[in-house]
Amino acid sequence: MTQGSPSRVDPDRAARRKARRGAAAAARSEDRTDLLGERAIELSRYFGGKIETVPKVPVRSLEDFALWYTPGVAAVSRAIRADPERSFDLTGRWNTIAIVTDGSRVLGLGDIGPQAALPVMEGKALLFKVLGGVDAIPIPIQVGSADAFIATVEAMAPAFGGINLEDIASPKCFGILEELSKRLSIPVWHDDQLGTAAATVAGLLNALELTHRSVRTARTVLLGAGAANLVTARLLLALGHPARQLTLVDQKGVLHAEREDLDELELHNPWKYRIALATNGGNRTGDLAAALEGADVLVAASTPRPGTVRPEHVRAMAKDPVVFALANPLPEIWPEVARAAGAAVVATGRSDFPNQVNNSLIFPAVFRGVLDARARSIPDEVVLAAARELARGAARKGLSADHLLPTMEEPEVFPRIAAAVGDTAVRLGIARRRLSHDEFLARARTLMGRPARLVRALARARLTPPMPRTLPRRRRTR
Amino acid sequence: MSDHGERGSRSSGSGDAPSPPIHLRPAREADLPSIVPLLLRLKRLNEEFDPLLKVRDDAEQQARAILKADIANPKAIVLAAEGVGADRDKVVGFVRAHIRERAFYAPEHEGVILDIYLLPLYRRRGVGEFVLGEITTALKAKGAGIVTAEFPAQNEIANRFYTKRGFRPITAVQARSL
Repeated sequence: MTQGSPSRVDPDRAARRKARRGAAAAARSEDRTDLLGERAIELSRYFGGKIETVPKVPVRSLEDFALWYTPGVAAVSRAIRADPERSFDLTGRWNTIAIVTDGSRVLGLGDIGPQAALPVMEGKALLFKVLGGVDAIPIPIQVGSADAFIATVEAMAPAFGGINLEDIASPKCFGILEELSKRLSIPVWHDDQLGTAAATVAGLLNALELTHRSVRTARTVLLGAGAANLVTARLLLALGHPARQLTLVDQKGVLHAEREDLDELELHNPWKYRIALATNGGNRTGDLAAALEGADVLVAASTPRPGTVRPEHVRAMAKDPVVFALANPLPEIWPEVARAAGAAVVATGRSDFPNQVNNSLIFPAVFRGVLDARARSIPDEVVLAAARELARGAARKGLSADHLLPTMEEPEVFPRIAAAVGDTAVRLGIARRRLSHDEFLARARTLMGRPARLVRALARARLTPPMPRTLPRRRRTR
Repeated sequence: MSDHGERGSRSSGSGDAPSPPIHLRPAREADLPSIVPLLLRLKRLNEEFDPLLKVRDDAEQQARAILKADIANPKAIVLAAEGVGADRDKVVGFVRAHIRERAFYAPEHEGVILDIYLLPLYRRRGVGEFVLGEITTALKAKGAGIVTAEFPAQNEIANRFYTKRGFRPITAVQARSL
């Protein structure tokens, strides 16, 4: 296939050169990651973890405890006993969620267990607070089975306004989310499924717009059939993407209804099985190359190895294709390489390239919205509302190949997402509290803006010590 | 047994199900190339349930020989499921059953459903129900007084399928390695 614009350099050579540069950048980024790691250990020790609980009421003297604790508190308990819903008014439940993991698939680290997952969950709690104004409690649990996981979370639900499931291996994560969503009357979210898929869909909507396509006519290939892409597929179908133009590809090739492993999937991964039947490979069989022939869109959420998607794959796609290479820390194809091969729009999961598809664009705002609406669940309509609003946030500033999604430096979009989530919960009849759009928006702005002020105030008062300056390398050689 | 129309409206149970997207007919030797892989898929699936159901290396030859014999055997029934419409001449599943004598019990003839397999796209929508109805009728026509089904003990999907349709366990087979 020839390239659209005449170029003095051979595109293959340019791509190879860029690939080499990419590899060098990757090596540098690995060095940087090592340095960051050492620093993170030192700081974790210095601060003794990342979060703590702080009173939200005045404590003038110990006498106030007659109100905050016994005997006064007994009346509060009686009130909740009489009407359990009042726990959302009379305690911090309205704004408190649990971050629950079994540590079975943590970041790129794999099955490292609950203790080792704790620093990650603390980090997530910090993000929830700083970005969403949400009080999140890290709860890594030691459980032997999915059933035990479900029972444990169900048992702790009375304390929380929502549950964020985190870093649970696929496909176990699907069953856990599905069952807990059924059993609990508070929202349950699994970020690796819903957060990633929502951010991806937001980026895709804008990428399609930018390349003059519609989700109703596009032909899309999803590489990788794990937590994120299975939900991305489900959301795309809900948006009207034709099933017969949607192709999922995994290590065994195109996922279609007559693939040899389908019966095994029906038993062990019914979610993947269902998508296999719904899409039937987009009427294709074979490998990634066969799937990509003429495709408009590729969303790779698979192996963090550049070269998983090759320039010739991109060249075989339709003109001006959309390529999302979302594996972390290394994308399936370097953005420069994808562009040199003709990609009109490229997104990755990294913050050092344009168009970062990042869960943090979604989850704090979604929880702000469902907590403010005191929603009972998070159906896909809510997820899609968040995705659409995120996409609109980028469009408001002007879409371009380098500005598909807002960055974390565009915070004005997040309260809007929260309000869209709240509105949708009200519309679906799952909100315990039916605020107007303006009320949701104002509330989200206040609550999402507060943590920054809190952090500044604590620093000013020296209640959080300043960052120590010592460079870890130097300290170690001393 | 006689031909089966695809409009086999078995009344019991799924009243709202449209006519199933398959058509059943007696299997012929010419169907072997299509049915053998389906039988192997079924047996390989059984491996998932128990290591004592590990499929032999020569399973393919076995499948061919057994199916060929059963197609000719008056005490056996093999039905091929074909698609309808565009899939009309495509074998998308099969069912195999035997008439077995019961030495000590009455009724003395048992119709044993040994294998039912349908490609994933041809499941649900009342298809399993339809196949079960057809094979039951055919077994009855051959003198069976009861119908039984054999499948791996751990196969919960099959277990639920038959239990829902009035089957119950009557014989248990337990195993251990030697």
